[in-house]
Amino acid sequence: MKRFLFLLVILCTGSISLAQPTLPQAEELYRQGKFSAALQAYEEILKNHPKDPFVYYNIGNCYFKMNSKGLAAANYYRAFELAPRDADIRHNLTLALASGGEKFVPSGVPVVLHRAFFSLSLPELKGLVYLFAWGVCLLLWVCLVRRKWNLFTTFTLVVFLFAAGWLYARGRLSQEVRAVIAAPVAEIRSGPGKNFPASASAAQGHLLGIEDEKDAWYEVILKSQGVKGWIEKNAVEKI
Amino acid sequence: MRKTAFLLFVLMSLTIGAWAQVSFSAQTDKTALALDDELTLTVHLSGVTGNIVAPQLPSLPAFNVYSREMEQASINGRTSLLFRYTMVPRFVGNATIGPVTFTYNGQTYKTQPIAVQIFRDTNGNHTRGGANTQATSTGAGASSRKQNFQHLPPLQATLAKLADDRAGEPFFLVAAVNNRSPYVNESVTLAVRFYYSRNFYDAPYQKPTVSNIFMEEDGKSEGSQNIGGTRYQYEEQRYQLAAAQPGKATIGPATVHYKTGSSPFSAFDRLFGGAAVSAEKTARSNPITLSVRPLPKEGQPASFSGAVGNNFSLKAQASPEQVEAGEAVNLSVTVQGPGNLKATRDLDFPPVDGFKIYPAAATSGLAQGKNGTSIGYKIFKAVFVPAASGIYTLPSFKWSYFDPTSATYKTLQSDPISLTVTPTSKNASGVNFAAEGNPTGGFQALSNDIMYLKTDLGEKETFLAQISRWWLLNWLLAGLLIAGALFTTLGKKSLSKKKAFLTAKTHLKKASGGQEVADAISTYLQQRFDISTGSLPLRDMALSLHRKGVRAETVKIFVRLWQRLEEERFAPATLTSANTGKLAANALEILAQMEKEIK
Repeated sequence: MKRFLFLLVILCTGSISLAQPTLPQAEELYRQGKFSAALQAYEEILKNHPKDPFVYYNIGNCYFKMNSKGLAAANYYRAFELAPRDADIRHNLTLALASGGEKFVPSGVPVVLHRAFFSLSLPELKGLVYLFAWGVCLLLWVCLVRRKWNLFTTFTLVVFLFAAGWLYARGRLSQEVRAVIAAPVAEIRSGPGKNFPASASAAQGHLLGIEDEKDAWYEVILKSQGVKGWIEKNAVEKI
Repeated sequence: MRKTAFLLFVLMSLTIGAWAQVSFSAQTDKTALALDDELTLTVHLSGVTGNIVAPQLPSLPAFNVYSREMEQASINGRTSLLFRYTMVPRFVGNATIGPVTFTYNGQTYKTQPIAVQIFRDTNGNHTRGGANTQATSTGAGASSRKQNFQHLPPLQATLAKLADDRAGEPFFLVAAVNNRSPYVNESVTLAVRFYYSRNFYDAPYQKPTVSNIFMEEDGKSEGSQNIGGTRYQYEEQRYQLAAAQPGKATIGPATVHYKTGSSPFSAFDRLFGGAAVSAEKTARSNPITLSVRPLPKEGQPASFSGAVGNNFSLKAQASPEQVEAGEAVNLSVTVQGPGNLKATRDLDFPPVDGFKIYPAAATSGLAQGKNGTSIGYKIFKAVFVPAASGIYTLPSFKWSYFDPTSATYKTLQSDPISLTVTPTSKNASGVNFAAEGNPTGGFQALSNDIMYLKTDLGEKETFLAQISRWWLLNWLLAGLLIAGALFTTLGKKSLSKKKAFLTAKTHLKKASGGQEVADAISTYLQQRFDISTGSLPLRDMALSLHRKGVRAETVKIFVRLWQRLEEERFAPATLTSANTGKLAANALEILAQMEKEIK
C-alpha cells in the first residue's frame, strides 16, 4: 500500500512538472522565435501566478513579437498596474502604445510628475492610506486623552487626506482606461449593431474607456481622439 | 523561181508547224506519301496562244485539293503556263491521278496517269491505329467517321470532337474550355480553333466577349486534323480566364469573317475574270456559360491570399546572404504553379527583429509549361536592412492557396534563410534608425525594440501592498482606535462621576463629625459637578447645581443641609454622634437623589 502511494505521489509530481512549463522553458521558446509557443507557456505559468507583473510583461512581449500590439499593450498595462516603478515595463508599454498612435505620458504632463503619480501601485497606495488612517486615529486618541492638539497630528492628518485624494484620483483614472483595441482595425459605430454606420476606425493599440455595454458591443470613448461610439466586444481587450 | 517559191513555202510551213506544237504534261513531286503529307501536282502547258481554258483535273476520290496556283510566262507571243495543285490524301493505299485534259484549237491533250502510294505514316505503315496527335484518316463512310480522341489532352479532345461534328463544312470555328464550373479565381483555359479545308484570304478574327470573368491571351498554335476524310488546317488561339465573383459567367462567340478562293487581284483571277472569288462569310464559335463556384469559408487560413490552383510551389531567396549592417538584402519569395496568381494579394512580410523591411511591388505573369499548359507565377519582393551585426534567421514565409481538385486549402512554407551581418565599415551609416539625430561620442542608436523578457517572477509584495490586503484588520484597528478615543472622552467622564458618589458614600458612612460629612460632600461636588465649595457662596453653589440638572426642591434640601453643616463647623460640639449619623444618612440621601436627577 505504501509503495502504491509512493508511486502515485511520484507520478502526480511528474505529471504536474510535465504539464506546467517553467520560466526557462518559456524563455527558450521565445529565444528560438517560437513566440506563439512561448505565449502558451507563459499563459500556463500565469494560472499559478495570476498577480505576477513579470508574467504579464512576458506575455506582452510575446504578443508584441507576434505583431499583436493591442494585446501586447493590454498585458503591459496589467504589468504596469502591478509594478509601476519597473522601467522595462514602462519602456515596452510606451512602445506598444506608440505603435497605435497613443502616448503613455499625456501631452503637457511632465514626465517627472507622471512618474511620481504612478510611483505606487493601487494596492500600495491603499496600504499607504490605511497606514496613515491608523496614525491619524492613534494621534487623535492621544490628543483626546491629553485634551491637547499638536502639530504632528495636524501633519499626519494632512498627509492622510493627501494620500486619500491620490488614491481617489488613481482609482478614477484606472477606471477611465479599461480596454485597448486588440483587432488589427476596429470600427466605431454610432450604435450597438452593424446596421449603424461606422463613424471611425481605429488601429490596434488605442486606449479606450468603457462606458456601457449591450449584447456583444461596448460603448467606448477613444480618449486620444475624443471619439465616442460602439465597438464590438471581440475587437477589444479589457485591461 | 517556182522551185524557190516552193522551198520557201515548205520552210514556212515547217516553221509554223514548229511554232504550233503544243506541249502538255503533268507530274507530281512524289509518288509515295504519308496520310498526313501533301502532294503537289504540277501541270505544264506551252505552245499555246490566245485565250485558253484551264486544264480539267480528273476525278480525284483519293485526294482533297485545297490549293491551286498558276504561273504564266509569255515569249514572242507564245504562252507558257504552269498549274500547281496541292492536295492531301484521303485514304491509305494505291491511288491513281488520272489524265489531266486540255482542249486547244479543237484538239484535246491528255497527260499520263500517275500512280501514287499512300501510307499510314512516314514509316510506310499501312495499318491503322497507333497514337497520333492529328486526327486519323478514316474511310469515306459516315458510320465509320466518328473517331476516338481519348488519347488527346481533355481540352484538345473536346475541340477535336466539336470539329468532328462539323464535318463537311469547309470553314468553321469551335471553342471549348477545360472547366465549366470553376471556383472563384480558378484559372480556366479557353481555346478557339478556326478550321478550314479550303483556301481563304483576308479573314479577320474577332475574339469572344466575356462577362463576369477576366480574360487574357495565352498564345497561338496551328495544326491539322482529318475530319470526315477531309484534311483541315486549323489555327488555335488560347485564353486564360478567371472569375472574381461566384455566379454565372458567359463567353460569347468568337467570329471570323473570311473570303474564300484566291485574291481578286491575282493573275489567276485576272485570267479567269475573278470567277474563283466567293462572297464574304462569317464563322462563329459556340457560346459557353460557366458556373463559378464560391470558395469555402471553412478552413480558410489567415495566410490565404486568394490564389486557386494546384501543385503550387514556394521558394524564398535572399541576395546577398552576407552583408554589412545597414546594407540592403533583397528578398524574393516566388510562388508558381498552374493557376492564376495575378489577382492574389501581396505577401505580408512579418516583422523581423533587427531589420527594417521595405516591401516592393510584386510581379506576376504567365509562362508556358510542359504540354502547352500555362504556369502562373508571382514574385513578392522586399528589401531587408539589418540594423546591427550578427547571425540572423529570416523566418519561414507562409502562403496558402485553395486546391480545387481536393477542395481544400493548402499552406506552403518556405525554408528559413540564414543571414550573416558583419559590423559596418562606414563611419556614418547610410541608414540611421535613430530618430534622435547624428551619432555623438561614438554612440549611435540603431533601433528601438522592446526590452527582453523577465527571467524571474516578480518580487514579493511590498509592505504597503500587503497592508492593503489586510482590509479586515485595518477596519478593525480603525474601529478600535475610534472606540478607544470615544471611550476615553465619554467613558472617563462617566466613570469619574460614578466614582465620586461611591467615594462620598464611603466617607459619609465613616463620618464621625459634621466636618467629615461636609468634606465628603465637598469632594463629591468637586468631582461630580466641578463645583468648588470653598470659593463659591452657597447661593452660587445652589444655582450651579440647578444648572447641572438638580431639581429646585432637592437644591433647597441640599442648601438646608449645607447650612446645618456650616453651623456645626462654626459651633462645634452641638452635634452628637447619633445626630452625625442621621446627618450623614440625610446627606447620602440627598446625593443619591441628585444622582437620579442628573442622569
